[in-house]
Formats: sequence, structure tokens, C-alpha cells
Amino acid sequence: MVLGVALGVAVVVAVDLANASAGRAFDLSVDAVAGRATHQVVAGPQGLDEAVYAALRRDGEVQLAAPVLEGSAVSPQLGGRTLRLLGIDPFAEPPFRSYLGAEDGLPLDQLVDFLTRPGAVLLSVDLASQYGLEAGAPLTLQVGGYERQAFVAGLLQPADGLSRRALEDILLADIATVQELTGRLGRIDRIDLILPQNGAAEVERIAALLPPGARIDAVAARSGAVREMTVAFRTNLLALSLLALMVGMFLIYNTMTFAVVQRRELFGTLRCLGVTRREIFALVLGEALVVGLLGSASGMLLGVLMGRSAVRLVAQTINDLYFAVSVHSVAVPVISLVKGGLLGVLATVTAAGLPAWEAASVPPRSALSRSLLEAKARRATTRVALGGLLLLALGALILAIPTRSLAVSFGGICAVVLGFALLTPLATRWVMRGAAPPLGRLAGPLGRLAPRGVANSLSRTAIAVAALMVAMAVVIGIQLMISSFRHTVVAWLSYALQADVYIAASEMTGSSPMAPVDPAVLDVVARRSDVAVIDLIRAVNVDSPYGPVYLEAGNSADYGDHLLYLAVDGSPQEAWAAVRDGEAVIVSEPLAHRIDLPRHGGTIQLYTDRGPRTFPVSAIYHDYATPNGAVIMGLDTYRRFWDDAAFTAVALELEAGTDPGAVVQSLRETLPPTQRLVVQPNRALREEALRIFDRTFAITAALQLLATAVAFIGVLSALLSLLLEKRRELGILRSVGLTARQLWRLVMLETGLMGMVAGLLSMPAGWVLALILIYTINLRSFGWTLQFRLEAAPFLQALAIAVAAGLLAGIYPAYRMGRIEVIEALRYER
Amino acid sequence: MSENGFLHLENLSKSYPEGAQQRIVLKDVNASFAPGEFVAVLGKSGSGKSTLLNLVSGIDRPDRGSIWLDGRDLAALDERRRTLFRRRNIGFVFQFLNLIPTLTVEENVTLPLELDGIAVRQARRRAEPLLEAVGLLDRRDAFPDRLSGGEQQRVAIARALVHNPLLALADEPTGNLDEETGRQVLGLLNRLTRQAGKNLILVTHNAEAAGDADRVLYLQDGRLTVRE
Repeated sequence: MVLGVALGVAVVVAVDLANASAGRAFDLSVDAVAGRATHQVVAGPQGLDEAVYAALRRDGEVQLAAPVLEGSAVSPQLGGRTLRLLGIDPFAEPPFRSYLGAEDGLPLDQLVDFLTRPGAVLLSVDLASQYGLEAGAPLTLQVGGYERQAFVAGLLQPADGLSRRALEDILLADIATVQELTGRLGRIDRIDLILPQNGAAEVERIAALLPPGARIDAVAARSGAVREMTVAFRTNLLALSLLALMVGMFLIYNTMTFAVVQRRELFGTLRCLGVTRREIFALVLGEALVVGLLGSASGMLLGVLMGRSAVRLVAQTINDLYFAVSVHSVAVPVISLVKGGLLGVLATVTAAGLPAWEAASVPPRSALSRSLLEAKARRATTRVALGGLLLLALGALILAIPTRSLAVSFGGICAVVLGFALLTPLATRWVMRGAAPPLGRLAGPLGRLAPRGVANSLSRTAIAVAALMVAMAVVIGIQLMISSFRHTVVAWLSYALQADVYIAASEMTGSSPMAPVDPAVLDVVARRSDVAVIDLIRAVNVDSPYGPVYLEAGNSADYGDHLLYLAVDGSPQEAWAAVRDGEAVIVSEPLAHRIDLPRHGGTIQLYTDRGPRTFPVSAIYHDYATPNGAVIMGLDTYRRFWDDAAFTAVALELEAGTDPGAVVQSLRETLPPTQRLVVQPNRALREEALRIFDRTFAITAALQLLATAVAFIGVLSALLSLLLEKRRELGILRSVGLTARQLWRLVMLETGLMGMVAGLLSMPAGWVLALILIYTINLRSFGWTLQFRLEAAPFLQALAIAVAAGLLAGIYPAYRMGRIEVIEALRYER
Repeated sequence: MSENGFLHLENLSKSYPEGAQQRIVLKDVNASFAPGEFVAVLGKSGSGKSTLLNLVSGIDRPDRGSIWLDGRDLAALDERRRTLFRRRNIGFVFQFLNLIPTLTVEENVTLPLELDGIAVRQARRRAEPLLEAVGLLDRRDAFPDRLSGGEQQRVAIARALVHNPLLALADEPTGNLDEETGRQVLGLLNRLTRQAGKNLILVTHNAEAAGDADRVLYLQDGRLTVRE
């Protein structure tokens, strides 16, 4: 019983910890970068001219301003991980970030190096010691595909734990150094400002001084928008962990009922001796409280341990889908523990409510007999099933409410799942009634005894079956959702990746840096006779009133003809012509969903280098790569509104009959060696995308496994308590001639049947769950419409797992019963 | 084979561990029973009466000695064979909680038949006259704990005889009943076993209950003494 609560609580705590850690890591990285800035001056993908900073300082408009230029770098001397290259002006920094301002800061000679020598970077003492680096050590950096030489100018001593974690993944350098390393001479990404609290007038004054395309934003609003994006993802995880707790609640209910039924005579006697109903109720609830406290305490411990692997999975998914976070350690926020613990205790006490009431209603002396309880349970099955149908209807109604609120949607799911659970007792009875005759023919009297045993102990068996059913339904629902998702993505990839070969400076995944490709590449590919079409793609993140948006600009003649459209003005060709030749854009479904874009005739505003511009939307397309939303526009349009002639990828269509593998091979040999380029055939990119997809769902699979484990323990504990109750009964069976082997078969048949019923019932429930997940939750969370794909495998798998869980759960009880001597069992008095 | 009568106990000994010591319950017990005989075994609580029945039924195994029943030595059979032998040849009535609580009266009675592979319908046909004989035909669909103690024992009697066993064993069958009900149950047990021509061994501490027996044996200090 304690174990069940503990597992349930552990899952909730682990997921909460992982979410909190990822959130904390995000805050830290925002802090590390924004520091104490209140506002930032920002511009498009190419950033600002550094003259803007000089002008602001010169005009005396702002006292506290610091320029920042960011990049990302990978160094073999630093374990090959992606580090943030943060370029700053050390003299403007102190009010913003504290790394340099500490009294025992850098020694003078290191500071001089830092400011004057090219390639000088600073890193934290921890990072340096992790890789055995000292001041003066040379570093080879990969920046935007180019190899650059740098060196460790000095080591930063973080002032406190927070800065230590913030500095874990940062290389600090003078702004001029970063300009050289990234090849962005004369540019800065932004200017951090500290303005007085009611600085509306200052904001306006500064805004007036900025060139077109540059804006001033409040820091809180910017980071909030980014943070918002992961809320849906994290809510989904939390909901999944709550499901495990729900399965745990069935378990607690079952065990508490057992504890009550087992002692009904004691309660009868106690009532006889003058113990009031209320006192008995309190007694049982008190026991539940103790169990809840014990279970929750161990669950919290277990949760912290499990959180360590969960945090890795969550961080990986957020990295893949949203933005780079680095979480290396699990901070244990007290609030997560309190939440989990409280939930566990509450769930236990709630689940014990009904058994406690049952105990309190035992009349004095005349003890509530088992068969009375069973008769009551049998009569109640119809009422309970009606309640289940009502809950299903309620769930459908809740899900039909046109809202974006995930809490409401999960409320609906909860009602549906509970509804199915309430149908379990009646369905179990029916299935057992139906199973008895054929099983009797197959397995003789045992075949009749087993289903009857299950049906006659419905008050206990149905709950174990319900718990297992819920777990299996979740497995089916999520598997169907994931496989539908995967199939949708596979179909979508064939549209999204139309060219045969792609050349880029880095792998083209959601959040990875989008470094430009060396233009010299074009000369090489243009000379090739096996290349039919060369398309350029510029992928950048641009700002919009709705937060950062992934923008892809291309010059393909027919790219848009084959996209998978949700809504399109006219034909796909017409829509694409409007993009290629006009100023129209195509918006991804998640973004359209997020900003409530009408299906036709909508517009979208983006912050361009010429100021905010509104673009007509000619189509909405399905996209599964960028949950925060993507916009596709013509390359000409992009270059008209942004001062950016660079391109991120070159897409090649080959002449018919050319082998892409061979082209890739020869391109790798002939492309300019100055920049490290990734040349991938279509197939490799597709595989890469699917690999990331599978990784994204790793945590979901882990949670599913846990829900199954909880359900398994539920069945095991239900069976153990059931067999304890039936000890004497089995003794009698043995005395009238049931052999040990028959006893074993009887127990296994009963538990196998329970597993089978759970597996069978989980099929419709899982199917409904998948429909809800696909058509409601995914759409509401991420704005993704998936193509539902019904597959037999998840259903068969769930049935197999359920039967296996039932049989496995039966082994130990059967073993124990087989060893009990008949006389001992006969002597056993309840 | 040393057989002397229908049921023959030969040098039967049984002891149980009690703390660090062995408590001897039965010591070199010898007895013979003629076919159709009703034998009562009298003894105080803890004198080993139930142990004797458990040995005779094959539920438990003696430390030493043999139990010859219908030409077979039960003590020499393995657990499975003893179980199968018991299933076909022994009917049991215990002191209390005789019945499977989740099976109806009729299902309890037909259980030994069903375990032996007899079809439900046929099993029901065979149970019906017995249920009628114990006066519970109209309660055949009731669950055991809706019955009084006396009624439960009557169901147990029907079940003990339904498969036409060689031997019926009763362990204090009236121990939990009031005097009047106890008398009725005993009368029924006696009548039905005699009607069927079966052997009945009744163990009890109540001398009055042994009144109808053909023979009374006394169990004292682990030894069985015969008083005709």
C-alpha cells in the first residue's frame, strides 16, 4: 500500500522537479544573459550597428547601457558541448552582470590580456577544472562552421551558486573578440539598459533615437514570451504524472477497503462496546493518513532520485523543440516536494473515504459479512456503470467546450478515464459470466471456478482490473497518439524536404544556431552538371508582437506547391506565387492557432529592419518542427525588409538519375575547406528529424512504464490481500481434493482473467483517449493537427502486457498459497 | 500388506514441533474399522482428535506407521496422490466455516463432483436428492453466510456425501451449534451415512454426541483405547 502511494508520488515529484529544474535553468540563462537589465534594444537577425550604442551613450540619453553580442561555439578542449559565446564591454558591464565586478576579480595582467589580445575568452573555474584547463591554455573554437583560435585569458570565480550555474555554459569575451570570432564585425545583438521603474518617458525618448528596425523592449516581456512556449509541454507531462497518481489512488482504495473488510468483526465489536461511527470513521482515516504520510515521504525521496533522469529527458526535449537550456544538476525546490507530498496524503485520505464510511456503517454486533458486501457490490455495479456513462457524457461535454485551457481539457480526460473505470465492474461481471462456460469446457471445474471467483469477489477484483485498465488505456492512447504523430511527421517530411541534398553550416534542427553558409559554396555547386536547381534558404528567428518566430525565406520556384496545407487561398500554386512574387507569407498551424489567425485573409505582423510590417497570409500549412511557430516568405521579400544577404542552407535538386549519395560525397570533397559544412542527402535529414522526434517522446514512454508499474503493484497487492482472505477457502478446496497444481492453475487463471479483462476493456478506452489526445489536447497544446492512424499493435501490446501483468502478479500469491499446508489454512481463522 | 478390515491404522505416530521440543500427539496408534461402521473418537481438547482425522483423510502425513484404506497405504502416497484419493474417497465435515463463501449452497455441494470432472448438470442432479434430504433444496441459490450455523453444517454434510465417498469424517461438527441443532445435525449425519452404507468417523469431546456410534474410541495421551 505504502509502495503504491510512494510510486504515484514519486512520479509526480520527479516530473515536477524536472519541469522546475528546466524552468530554473531557463531563468538562469535569461539572468546570465540579461542580468539586471530592465530593457533591451534589439533588432532583426543581423543585429544592430555598434554605432547605435555609441550614439546612445554620446547623447547622454542613458546612463546604464551595455552592448551584447552572442554566438555559440563548440570546442574539442571543452568536451564538444555547445557553449554560449557572450561578448560584452567589460567597462559597461558591472551594473548588469556580476562576473567581472567581484572584488577579487581578475588579476590586472589577465584583464589586460582579455581586453587587448585577440581570441581572449574567460570561463568559470568550474568549467576549466572540469576539462583541466588553466589560464593561458589555447582553445580551438568552432563558430558558425569556422574554426577559430582562442585562448583562456583568465578564470572567473563565481560569487555564488547561482552565478556558478549560470556560468556553466558560458564563454565570456570582449565584444570586439566575439565580433571577430563570429565574423560579425561592427555588429552587436542588443543593448541592455537599466531604466528607472517608471521609465515610460525614457523608453519613448530612446525609441525615437533608434534607427528603423531597432526596438526597445522590456526584458520581462521578452523572456515571458519564450517561457510561455514550454508551458503546454510541461502541463502535458504533469498531467501524465497525475495519471500515475490516479492509478495509485485505485490501489489505495483497494487496500483500504481490504483493511476494513478484514476487520469488520472488530468494528462490529467496537461499535458494540460504544465506539461511535464518527470515531471508527476517524480511525480508518487516521490509518490512511499514516499510510499516506509514509508513502508520500518515501515517494518524495524516490521522486528526487527519479528526477535526475527525468530532468535529462525534459531538458533534451526542450533543447530539441524550443531553446537551448543546460541542466546538469537537479535543484530540489521545496515546493515540488511539498506539492507531491501533499498530493499523496490527500489522494490517500480521499481514496480511503469510502472504505472508512463503510467501516463506520458496520452495525454493532452483526458484522458486515463478506457475501453481503459482495451482494451489495453486485447490485451496485449497474448503478456504478450508469455513473460511468454519465461521467463519459460529462467528459464529452467538457471536451466540447471551445477553450484553450489545458486544465479544462485534462478535466475532460479525467472524467472520461474515470467513466471507463466505473464501467469496469459491470463489464468484468459480464465477461466473467460469459467466460465461465467456454472456460469450463476447456479447463474443467477450474475454468468455471476461476471466473466465478473473480466475479464473486467483485468488490476487490474490479478495482484491481480498473487500475490495470486505466494504465493500459493510457499506454494505448499514448502509443496511438505517438504513432499517429510519427506517421504524420513522416508524411510531412516528404513534403517539407523536397530537395535531394542540403548544405548547411550546422545541422538544421529546431533550436540550433543558424549560421550563414559561405557564399563561395554557390560557385562550387553552380559548376556541377548534375545539379538541376539550386535554391537558397535563409532561416532566422525574428521578433514579432507574439514573441520570437522562426522565419524561413526561400527562393524556390515551386517549394510551396507541395506543402501540406491546412488552408490555402486559391490553389497551392497561386498561394506560393503570392509568396514568391509578392509579399504574402505562409504561416504554420501552431502559430496560426496561437495567434487566432483566420483560415483565410489573415495578416501577421513582424518586426523588420524597416520597422513593424504587416504581411498578408496566403496559406496555413502543417508544420511539426517548430512548436512556437514558423513563417515562410520569399527570399526577395525577406531581403527587402531585412538587411541580410546571408543564407542558412542551400537546397539542391539533382538531375534525374543522379545518385544523391555520390553527389554528397563529392561535394564534401570539393566544398571550400574554410567552413565546416554539413552536407546531407534528403534521407539523412529525414532520419535525423525522426531521431529527434523519438527522443522527444522518450520521457512519455518512461512515464507510461511507471503508470504500468503502479498498476502492476495494484494487481499484486489486490491479489495478495484477496488470497489472504481466501486462505481458509482455499484450504477447504484442498481438503475436498484440489491438488497443489490445480490450486496454482486456479490462481493463475483468476489473475490471467483479470489481466485479460483489463486488457480488453482498455482497448475502447485507449482508442477514445487517443482520439482526445490527438484531436483536442495536441491541438490545444501545440496547435498540431495529427492524422489519426489506427494500428493493431498498441492494442495487442496492451492486451499482452495486461495479461502478463496479471499472470506475473499471480505468481507470488500462488507460490505462497501452494506452500501453505492444508491444515494450517483450515486452522486459519479470519 | 497388512490389512485387517476396511480401514486399518498401524503404529501411527505423529508429533509437532512446539518451541524447541517435539510434542507427541499420536503414539503408536492401532485400530481397525469394519465397512459401514460408525465410530466415535472421544477426547479432550488438544488430545489429537483432529490430527487423527487429518491423517486418515490424507491431509497430513504420519511420522511413522501406515493408514490402510480400501487396500492402499495413504501414508505411502505422495501429496498429489493423497489429494486425488481424498477427492474421490473422503467426505469431510469440519467444526466451522466449512463452505466456500463465494459459492452458493448448490455450488458448494457439487464442488467435489466438479473437481472430479463431472459435468455441472449431472453434478446438480446428484446434489438435488441430498439437498432435499438435508432440507435445503429451496435455499440452493443462497450464499453460505445467509444460512444459520445448523444449515451450514447440513450443507457440509450434503457435500461430504455427494461424491459417494468410502469414508465420511466429521470433526466436532456440532461444536459451534446449540444443543438442539447439534442433535438434529448429528441425527442427519448418522441417518444419511447409514442410508448410503458409508463409514463415519466422528471426533468429538462430547460423549452425548457419540451416543449413536457403533463403537467409541478414546484418545488419551496419544494413544487410542477401545471400549466396546
